[in-house]
Amino acid sequence: MEALGLLMQGFGVLLTWKILALMMVGLVLGIFVGVLPGLGGPNGVAILLPLTFTMDPTSAIVMLSCIYWGALFGGAITSILFNIPGEAWSVATTFDGYPMAQQGKAAEALTAAFTSSFIGSFAAVLLITFLAPAISSFALKFGPPEFFAVYLLTFCSFVGLGREDKHKTIISMSLGLLLAGIGLDTVSGQLRMTFGSSDMLRGVNFLVAVIGLFGISEILLTMEERLALRGHAAKISLRTVWQVWTDMPRYWVTLLRSSAIGCWLGITPGGAIAASFMGYNLAKRFSKDKESFGKGRIEGVFAPETAAHASGTAALLPMLALGIPGSGTAAILLGGLMVWGLNPGPLLFVEHKDFVWGLIASMYLGNIVGLILVLSTVPVFAAVLRVPFAAIAPMIVVSCAIGAFAIQNAMFDIWLMLVFGVIGYVFKKIGIPLAPLTLALVLGNRAEDAFRLSMIGAEGNLGVFWSNKLVGTITTLAIVLLFWPILDRLIAGISKARRPARA
Amino acid sequence: MSYFTRTATAVAALLFSAPAIAAWEPTKPVEIVVAAGAGGASDQMARMMQAAIQKNNLMKQPMVVSLKGGASGAEALIYMKSSEGDANKVLIAYSLIYMLPLSAKIPFNWRELTPVSVVAMDQFVLWSNASKPYKNVKDFIEAAKASGTPFKMGGTGSKREDQVLTVFTEKKTGAKFNYLPYKSGGEAATQLVGNHIDANVNNPSENLEVWRAGQVKALCVFDKERINYTNKVTDTQSWKDIPTCKEEGLDVQYLMLRAMFLPGKVTDDQKAFYVDLFKKVTETPEYKDYMEKQALKPVYMTGEAMTKFLGEDDAVNTALMNEAGFVAK
Amino acid sequence: MPNSDMEIVVDDPTAPDDNSPAVTSKRTVDLIVSLLLIAFAILMAWDNQRTGASWDSSGPQAGYFPFYLSLILGGAALFGFVKTLMEPASEAKAFVTRAQLGRVMVVLVPTFLFCLALKFLGLYVSSFLLICGFMGFVGKIAWWKSLLTAFIFTAVMFIVFDVYFDVLMPKGPLEALIGR
Repeated sequence: MEALGLLMQGFGVLLTWKILALMMVGLVLGIFVGVLPGLGGPNGVAILLPLTFTMDPTSAIVMLSCIYWGALFGGAITSILFNIPGEAWSVATTFDGYPMAQQGKAAEALTAAFTSSFIGSFAAVLLITFLAPAISSFALKFGPPEFFAVYLLTFCSFVGLGREDKHKTIISMSLGLLLAGIGLDTVSGQLRMTFGSSDMLRGVNFLVAVIGLFGISEILLTMEERLALRGHAAKISLRTVWQVWTDMPRYWVTLLRSSAIGCWLGITPGGAIAASFMGYNLAKRFSKDKESFGKGRIEGVFAPETAAHASGTAALLPMLALGIPGSGTAAILLGGLMVWGLNPGPLLFVEHKDFVWGLIASMYLGNIVGLILVLSTVPVFAAVLRVPFAAIAPMIVVSCAIGAFAIQNAMFDIWLMLVFGVIGYVFKKIGIPLAPLTLALVLGNRAEDAFRLSMIGAEGNLGVFWSNKLVGTITTLAIVLLFWPILDRLIAGISKARRPARA
Repeated sequence: MSYFTRTATAVAALLFSAPAIAAWEPTKPVEIVVAAGAGGASDQMARMMQAAIQKNNLMKQPMVVSLKGGASGAEALIYMKSSEGDANKVLIAYSLIYMLPLSAKIPFNWRELTPVSVVAMDQFVLWSNASKPYKNVKDFIEAAKASGTPFKMGGTGSKREDQVLTVFTEKKTGAKFNYLPYKSGGEAATQLVGNHIDANVNNPSENLEVWRAGQVKALCVFDKERINYTNKVTDTQSWKDIPTCKEEGLDVQYLMLRAMFLPGKVTDDQKAFYVDLFKKVTETPEYKDYMEKQALKPVYMTGEAMTKFLGEDDAVNTALMNEAGFVAK
Repeated sequence: MPNSDMEIVVDDPTAPDDNSPAVTSKRTVDLIVSLLLIAFAILMAWDNQRTGASWDSSGPQAGYFPFYLSLILGGAALFGFVKTLMEPASEAKAFVTRAQLGRVMVVLVPTFLFCLALKFLGLYVSSFLLICGFMGFVGKIAWWKSLLTAFIFTAVMFIVFDVYFDVLMPKGPLEALIGR
């Protein structure tokens, strides 16, 4: 088995004291970030990213992905104990998790959440392990037209499948693409949209924008709300863990189903949020006892957590293999890869085998270590919520500033971060989605370059996007997805028109 | 009594160490500014210098690599220009200092910085995919002329050394190429392996790995003489086995400088420190090793010789840029 | 006593009042943002048209994509503007209440001052001032706690970034004094 051999090599890279220590640090920081109000996975990773700039890429990605696993685990703690979902994908966990805590079964709920997170991630990692070798042989087929087609597919699926108002998604995406274009154009070597300013030469850095859009704006939004909270403390004993674990095999269908949903939605840009709700709803639908859902049923914790984590993990596969982030956090990891000089995309699997397999091995190890860590330290982290927000808010601001500055050592970026903070705050409140903006910022330049290089190569002939099976399929799929709402309505219309005829 | 002896010793110490005090030394970590992205040739060189300085204890303060590759390197130039008088920053420059101000109208002139020393000259090689039938430059040019659609030539950036070489290859041979500007030499290398382009004009260091893996072949080197390293790099070839383009009938030559610059308006003491530092760097085994591995030409110049060279090199580059039609109006 | 009966309760003494009057409505902000976006789109379209927005022999020019993107952005913003204008003003929800705006400003203003101070005082001194000032004045937390927290946090940051990882941060007179 090629995959197994490579994986063992990956473990070989990991098993040094330095990397193991970094993993622990990453996990602890991650859980911390997941528990704190106003932070969460993507923000935490964005803020802590500069810490890794001087590390070698493997240590850096191991630490960052551990922050990510930690944040995923941490999100479950607040959902269950305080009914505050740390992340949108933890919302479904609160449905049955919080009632369980109210009934005095907080420990069981937490154990269930952590264990099912672990199972979900594990299923996704297995998938990545066995798909990855296939990707590297596929990799060299990607030239500029193929790359462009894949980027187009991502953009189109956002516009076509997004649930927000279409014009708002388009505003967000075109704004992002415009901002991404600022600076020196690689293809023509010309400056554009800089208005003679030397600060604008660099263009708008994606990570600076993300730190502002998510970090700073989240603090502003959190401040608006009443920060009082009331919740349950919990301590997990070995006995509860054992009880939950022995009870778990009874729910194998739910676990399996949720893992499958998660993996599928993670690879296609459906996302963890959709996965967690779908996992929950399907578990409820197939249950014999539908009434007991929402009243503290352990299955109602298993289902969404497994799906959310499977999808969160699986989202890393398209990020590594195609350079397309499947989630917000994956987008930031992508930005990190570029800072360390790694080009995300199919060639990563050919050129940086050590890095890729080190990362995959760290997913196994990180999840196992993370599970043990959260099970044993829940009380400590729950207590973090007692720290007043007035102490946390300025520390987050400082961390954001460090993050924004360290990326390019530019004072201008700090101001840019502040501006994006305000933009993020206003956009969130009037319902302009931020995800398309960040996606466009990270992919905009690459998409444009890929398009223009294709045009130079094909001497301006658009037919190049249908010149072979691979690129033709992707391009066609992209266009179908863009017009999906219209097509969907048409199909619905046709079937409606038929039904009365049949009746 | 004891007071007197102590003063005396102090005075004596002061006297003896006087030359050491007069010589300037950095008091803060020194930033080595790279005008390219991570992993590029400049970055690798900066990291080699960092290691060489650290291992051989050439400087008390640490050296920090600071990547300023934004806007194809213009970011680094502007950054150096605006750091006037700050002797804790040193730029590792290449031909971009002449070309970028011409092609993109960036308000920068290398004369505003303080030249320290030229540390190497970099080569350019014409590469093609190993699976293609042509064995030498002649075959390649014939194939390019015979092809219905122009051959695709990959390179780094737009209206820079790589594209200049492409334009001159076209002029000398009459073959037509479509030039594809990639973000980095590494990308141009992998795209060549994947057969998405027909050739590239990468530096030796950028194609080294794929050459060793037997995925690309080296057609010729754009220099007057062959590269002077005879150790085998691939199974059958050493750098010296690559013919020059002129030998093969393609009369195009270009060498690119790799030089160190301080910001403008630094004192002579400060400049002297760095001249000495980089002189020592070029004598380290790390440097020599690096030169051979990456097939760089070890050249060292400073002072008058360097200024004269920069003036001439600038004139050559400007003429090339004008002839290629890359100077922005 | 079983563990699960332990309750964690955190109060928020400065919470915004629920009955605070609205400063402005979502509708107004939506309209203003649309107008700003349109203005931005026009500016960008003008600049890119100057750069060159046509399609020459080797594909699109530098300004081609940004030019059409600004048209799309402007179009979408205009659509949003008209759509919002058509909705009845009476149904508009509050964008922010006065009490909420006050709280937001309480974070935004110090953050602004912090960014301003960075240039002159350096990162570490500014951070110290921001944290202890914010905790003391806004959070009404005892001064010794504020000072101590700020000091520990800043010191840890300094050791991690400056001493251990060599990440360059803006520095001011204090760092120059201790020779970093």
